Amino acid sequence: MVKESSSLKKKRKSGTSADNEAEIDIYKKSVEFEEKEALNRPNDTDAQIYFNTCKEIRHLFAEISELKMKSGSDVRAKITEKTTEVCLLLVLLKKLNRMEKVRLVFPKEQLAAEKQKVDSINLQYQNLLYEANHLMSEYRKCFQFKSKDEHIELVPVEEFLAEAPKNLTTKFKKFDETDEMAKHELRLARLEWELQQRIHLADMCKKLEEEKKKLEGDIAERRNKLDKLGPLLSSVMEATKPVQEHLGLHIDKIQAEHKLASLLPNPLYLFYANIDAYRQVNDSGMSVEIMGDQEEASQWKELELAEDEEEEEEDMEPEAEIQEVEEIVETKKRRHRKSVHVDPLEEKKRKLLQVHPLSVQVTVTTKDGPSIKIRLSYYAKLEIVTVSSSVNIPSNITGNAAREVLSNESVLVELVEGDFGLDSPNPCTPYQLKKVGLGSFQSLVPELGYVYTWAQKMCGIDFLNKMSGSDQLSQTNVESVMKTIKKRLKSRYALAKQLEELERNVIPVLPASVDLPRTTISSLTKWSSGTYQSFCEAKFTEGLLEAELISPNDIFYKATITRDKANLQAFVVIKNDYPSIPPIFALCLNYNGTRHSQNDDNIRDMERSINVDWNHEFSNANWLLSAQIMSLCVGLDIYLETEDPGTFQQNTMYIKSTCARNRRKPFKFRNIGVGVYTQ
Amino acid sequence: MVNKLNKSFYNTVLSQTFTPCGNYLVVGDIYGTISVFHLSKLTNQGSSITKEDQLPKNAFTIKEDVQINSLLTMKAFLVVGTVGEILGYSWKNVKTSKKPSCSWTIEIPNSKDSFDKPDVNCLVFEPENNLLFAACGDNNVYVFNIETRKEVRCFKGHKNYVHCINFCNNKLVSGGEDGLVLLWDVRGGPPVSKIEPHSRDKVARVELGPWIGGVGINDDWLLCGGGPRLSLWHLRSLNIATVFPIDDKGIHVAEVYQDRIFAGGRSNLFYQMSFNGDIITEIPTSPVTTYSAVHQDEPFQTLCIAGSSPKIDVCSNFIYKNLQLSLY
Repeated sequence: MVKESSSLKKKRKSGTSADNEAEIDIYKKSVEFEEKEALNRPNDTDAQIYFNTCKEIRHLFAEISELKMKSGSDVRAKITEKTTEVCLLLVLLKKLNRMEKVRLVFPKEQLAAEKQKVDSINLQYQNLLYEANHLMSEYRKCFQFKSKDEHIELVPVEEFLAEAPKNLTTKFKKFDETDEMAKHELRLARLEWELQQRIHLADMCKKLEEEKKKLEGDIAERRNKLDKLGPLLSSVMEATKPVQEHLGLHIDKIQAEHKLASLLPNPLYLFYANIDAYRQVNDSGMSVEIMGDQEEASQWKELELAEDEEEEEEDMEPEAEIQEVEEIVETKKRRHRKSVHVDPLEEKKRKLLQVHPLSVQVTVTTKDGPSIKIRLSYYAKLEIVTVSSSVNIPSNITGNAAREVLSNESVLVELVEGDFGLDSPNPCTPYQLKKVGLGSFQSLVPELGYVYTWAQKMCGIDFLNKMSGSDQLSQTNVESVMKTIKKRLKSRYALAKQLEELERNVIPVLPASVDLPRTTISSLTKWSSGTYQSFCEAKFTEGLLEAELISPNDIFYKATITRDKANLQAFVVIKNDYPSIPPIFALCLNYNGTRHSQNDDNIRDMERSINVDWNHEFSNANWLLSAQIMSLCVGLDIYLETEDPGTFQQNTMYIKSTCARNRRKPFKFRNIGVGVYTQ
Repeated sequence: MVNKLNKSFYNTVLSQTFTPCGNYLVVGDIYGTISVFHLSKLTNQGSSITKEDQLPKNAFTIKEDVQINSLLTMKAFLVVGTVGEILGYSWKNVKTSKKPSCSWTIEIPNSKDSFDKPDVNCLVFEPENNLLFAACGDNNVYVFNIETRKEVRCFKGHKNYVHCINFCNNKLVSGGEDGLVLLWDVRGGPPVSKIEPHSRDKVARVELGPWIGGVGINDDWLLCGGGPRLSLWHLRSLNIATVFPIDDKGIHVAEVYQDRIFAGGRSNLFYQMSFNGDIITEIPTSPVTTYSAVHQDEPFQTLCIAGSSPKIDVCSNFIYKNLQLSLY
């Protein structure tokens, strides 16, 4: 009912306002009022009102329809009344509808506003999140940052503390490892110190650089000056030549020789240098010369250099060369080269046996005796040094046998035992020769020269030890070899002088110091050369041959010593190393049959006393052979006088003619009184 | 260069003996060196003998260049006869020591001066009375008591040095350079009998001289040779029973052994013969002249022949040479 009344009021109000002059204001006011009312009224009551109204309407409609059915006048009035009531209710409904609409608009607006609010907050949140991420990454970046100073090498802390000025270091005397700040400060200080140091060093470097430049300038200047001095000096040299010639100085000659020496192949150069030094210091009776043409030598050197390169090329295709000989060579260049070689094998032979154009000649002279010229040549491909020699025999030696021992080959043979110079000391040689189809090396010796090992050693070549070009080897050998050669020459001359007299059947006079009698009845009646073959054929030499004491390279002589009907044949074998090995005698006595060491103990004993009983320390090349022959004569005297005292008158002094079980004869000479012989 | 021709090449062995055990051979040469060979080892070794094995096991020099003329084996000592003295060495020293000291010496009396010391050419030992007989270069045969080393007696009679002696049952025989063969009673006195082979045409060889180089004796027979031919004499009648038909230029070794005769000298062969002159074996020898031949049956049969050569021939069966020893 309240509702009805209120709605009625409204109707009146609105009716009155609309009736009033300000229709719009009223409308506005009603709208505002309705709006306020709508907000203040609860919806639930409105909904209840709505339902009730709707019910009333239906009721009225139902009454109306009932009335309509009923016919009557009052009906009409009633209907009209009822209709009016319905209309009023419809107005109420309308009002309710309006209010509802107003009420709906407001929440919608509110919702939109809330939504907007949420959106903005969301946005703000996103922004903040992004910012946080960014900051995180920046933070990380900062942590990863490496400062440049970490790459700088600093002096160690200890050194820094010790060397830096005090004001920098005092702070850190009590340095705490854990204190990050202090650590940092220390680093800063060190860096600063480093900077200072570096600046200082850079300065220094600059200074030194400048100094260097200055010195370089200096040097260049001085070099200029020296260059200018060269021509001046040579002109001075030129000018002094007449003076030199006038004074008889040979500076030029020596200079030329030294220049030539530089062209020598390495082994010969070594030899030359060492022998020249040896000559200057030790031996004035010796001369050293370089033989050969300088032009050729320099050509050789150039060729050698060129060949070296070629060889390198060839090394790359080692197979090719062998094929070349048979096959047609493809490249034009090679064909051209090949066409020059008429016969490749012949050419190779020639090349292999090519000798260096320069050779060294050493002349060794003995005092008023013979002199020997030894010429050393170098075969580059064979890598050996060959020796050719010639002996200048003095005019007082005329006998054949005597000249023989001084002959070219004989003097140098077996300077070292077993060294005949006939076999190449280079183990490669036989293969090299075989490759080009040449025979043994021995057959080439007359053409090439002898290849004594001492010669190789003097030139610093040692094949056994595979040492090549060793200066030390050469040095140690030059002296000993030259001494040996000189000694050999002397002993050969001494031997030749003795042989000279022996050939005339005269026993050379012995010096007084030799303990031997000088008077013998037996005498030398024949002295002649022998051969190894004849030595082998003689029966009485069996023992010596069996014991391999004789070699075909020794020098053989035959001597005959005679006393009355008895004659003693002796083979004399002179070893190449005379006198360090005394000559060996093989004896055979022809007296009442032949007696020799194979059938007579006394001849054996005599042989022994001559061959073995020499005191080598006192033996001397000048008289050893003569002394042996002298004692051979004495031996024969003793033998005959003791063996057959009836026929041969006693001339020698001895105490007992025989003694002991072996019936020894007194072959031992004792220098007592006039000289006594004992067993 | 080394002189390969040294004096060893001309060495001569004058005396040999076996050790009491028989396993070693001891030889003395003209250079005063005594060499010891290990015989038993070599004979057992058979064919595989190298040049090294032939060399002496031990060697020492008594006195440089003084001949070792005779050697004798006694139970405890090696007795060495050199020049002017007799030396005794204990066996242990001989076998091992390089410079052994001698255990005792006997000086030969009457050695007038150093210049003319007599050689001790032959030594024999008579065990019954402990007597050592020494044939010496001063023409005498000395008898020493081995215990006291004093001279017991002296046999004088030779006119030149005595080459060799031998004895059998109180009979002592000596042969000298003077060509005499003298028979003595061991107990003393002048020579019992005397023969002069060079005066008998049957055996004399003028070109070689009268000297007697070897004598041998047993109860009935006497064997002698040297310049004269090797001959067997009947002791009681002193007549020549056999002249041995051998080709030699002087006898230095003559020995009566059981029913056989050993003989050697300047000849290429060493002979074994029967009493009637039949040659049993001929052994070719290395030396020009054989100066010494020794033999033993125990512990193994061995005959060693040596002389003017550094080589020594060894026959283990007395028939042919099957081993050679060398001094260098």
